[in-house]
Amino acid sequence: MSATDTTEGPLPGPEALADFLRNMRVGVESGLDPLTAAQRAAGSLPKQLSGAVDAIARRLQGEYHEDEWGFDEELAEAVFPLFDFLYSVWWRVVAEGATNVPSHGRALLVSNHAGSLFPFDASMITMALMKTHPLPRWPRFMVLDWAFVLPFISGFMRRVGGIPASPRNARRVLEQDELVMAFPEGVKGTGKQFSERYRLQRFGRGGFVEVALHTGAPIVPVATVGSEEIYPKLGESEALARATGAPFVPLTPTFPWLGLLGLVPLPSRWRIEFCERIDLSEYPPEAADDPRLVFDLSEEVRERIQQKLYENLVKRGSAFL
Amino acid sequence: MTGRRVVITGIASHWGLELARRLERDPGIEHLAGIDTRRPAAELERTDFIEADLRSPLLSRVLPSTEADTVVHCGILWYPEPGKPASALHEINVIGTLQLLAACERTRTLERVVVRGSAAIYGCDAAAPAFFEEDLAGKGKLTTRFQRDISELEDYFSNFARRHSELVCCMLRYQPEIGAELDTPLVRYLTLPAVPVQLGYDPRLQFLHAADATGALVAAVENPVRGAVNVAPDGAISLSRLLRLLRRPAIPIPHPLFRPTLERFGRRLGVGPLLGDAIRMLRFGRGVDNRRLREEIGYEPRYDAVEAIRDFAAKTNRRRIGPQLHAGAVVERFAGAGR
Repeated sequence: MSATDTTEGPLPGPEALADFLRNMRVGVESGLDPLTAAQRAAGSLPKQLSGAVDAIARRLQGEYHEDEWGFDEELAEAVFPLFDFLYSVWWRVVAEGATNVPSHGRALLVSNHAGSLFPFDASMITMALMKTHPLPRWPRFMVLDWAFVLPFISGFMRRVGGIPASPRNARRVLEQDELVMAFPEGVKGTGKQFSERYRLQRFGRGGFVEVALHTGAPIVPVATVGSEEIYPKLGESEALARATGAPFVPLTPTFPWLGLLGLVPLPSRWRIEFCERIDLSEYPPEAADDPRLVFDLSEEVRERIQQKLYENLVKRGSAFL
Repeated sequence: MTGRRVVITGIASHWGLELARRLERDPGIEHLAGIDTRRPAAELERTDFIEADLRSPLLSRVLPSTEADTVVHCGILWYPEPGKPASALHEINVIGTLQLLAACERTRTLERVVVRGSAAIYGCDAAAPAFFEEDLAGKGKLTTRFQRDISELEDYFSNFARRHSELVCCMLRYQPEIGAELDTPLVRYLTLPAVPVQLGYDPRLQFLHAADATGALVAAVENPVRGAVNVAPDGAISLSRLLRLLRRPAIPIPHPLFRPTLERFGRRLGVGPLLGDAIRMLRFGRGVDNRRLREEIGYEPRYDAVEAIRDFAAKTNRRRIGPQLHAGAVVERFAGAGR
């Protein structure tokens, strides 16, 4: 490789680098602010690198979009490869029926919840949508509000689309015609024993149905198989839970015995099925105040997911191989 | 029909003065009076200044004599001011409001009362709704002194409104304001050469542009609605992005040490103490829903949460305490060194 074709290779030659610094200095001296100067001067660098300089300068200057919930699409795209690895290689996810998710307008995805230590189901459903839906878009997911007390995790969750779980938040984000994921089992779902796996817990108080009725959003039940085996919960430590303020701290075959290594999830096989959507537009918004209807609809969704869970468990066969 | 008669309490405060300036230009207002313990910093053309302390019972004689039909209470303080130390805040805010309401009872001509309150009543909590609606006040627990004060005076105010259903009683709940001309501890904090933040927390914030703060107050005086109204910009911005737009580097500090650090170094740099509410806000953030302001009072904020910061950045970039420390400025120095 000669020094002249530096515009092709991934790494710049010393000359290109010198050019870059020289151009940047010219820019700064002519009154540009340093970040803008760096951005302009990056033209002399190889394509990939100049793109990276550009992106970093833009982020440092705060010139990126963030919606009112704190969702940052660029960041979500940046962490995509990591979750793609988990999706395709680690858990070998098979997704079905993504077309049941409307490609525009509001919709509420309702799924079973599992994965005691750190539930990955929201991220994997997101990946399934992004990879298999013909017109993908980023869904928002309701997160247990305790997670928003935690440093670092709270900020990350919010940037990739997490929203503290509350009916108000769900309603507001649905009214903005977004795709919203809810896990009505909540902590009861993630905190159940390994022996209880794939047995759906009570669906809260049917709050998700009220929200759907209020906003006229269709409900798409989602059955996720595989999430129960990633951190099999054998017991729990009350002392640790009290110390951290967490709803529960699970004991798994690896955690906390192996320390940080215990945080590596087991490589189970996953299946995600998006079921046929339940259209609630025939009900007026006032129907949300009818507890009987809310309870019946909630039970209907729950049974549908439970049935799909059993079907997918049979289709999956062995949990790990 | 004769024009309206308006009394502004806390006329010497920034917002009282701004409001008086705007209302002086309104021909529909026949008489304008301002109450405070000291004269406003700038001369006003047609506003009568009444020197009185809101906390004194004297107010009950002064106020009826103005024959006001509108009272605007701008005397609630977020922060200590010259002559009004932190220890007196509770007195000024709660007892002052109580005395004012007692004086309002005596004022037969009164039709409407507008109070410039604070969104601090909602508190800041990780588990909180991302955008508080007005009916959510008082649902969470009261954690800070200022929140308790605001909640107490709002209780008095809503009791007053219930007893006097013929009056239009409007409580405005303001998010913190931002503006190059403002001199509040939060604004000074954001103009530090490097801004301490709480390690691992990146709150969603709403800062209200100073022009919108005055605009909303004027709109509420013209068209008050019953009950509480949130005053906030559209949208929200995270602290990390806000600091990048301001070109200020962040210094992460573990959150238990955040307050002592600010107290120790902040005072030297002229930041002044941040109240407990601001400390919590810089950790968990707070968003409020402004639909009532837009739809019922009919005021559309001109700046959303991001534009307010951009405008502030454009006006303050040349004015800073201490040296330039942002990554961009450091590169600038290196690039010039080879000459």
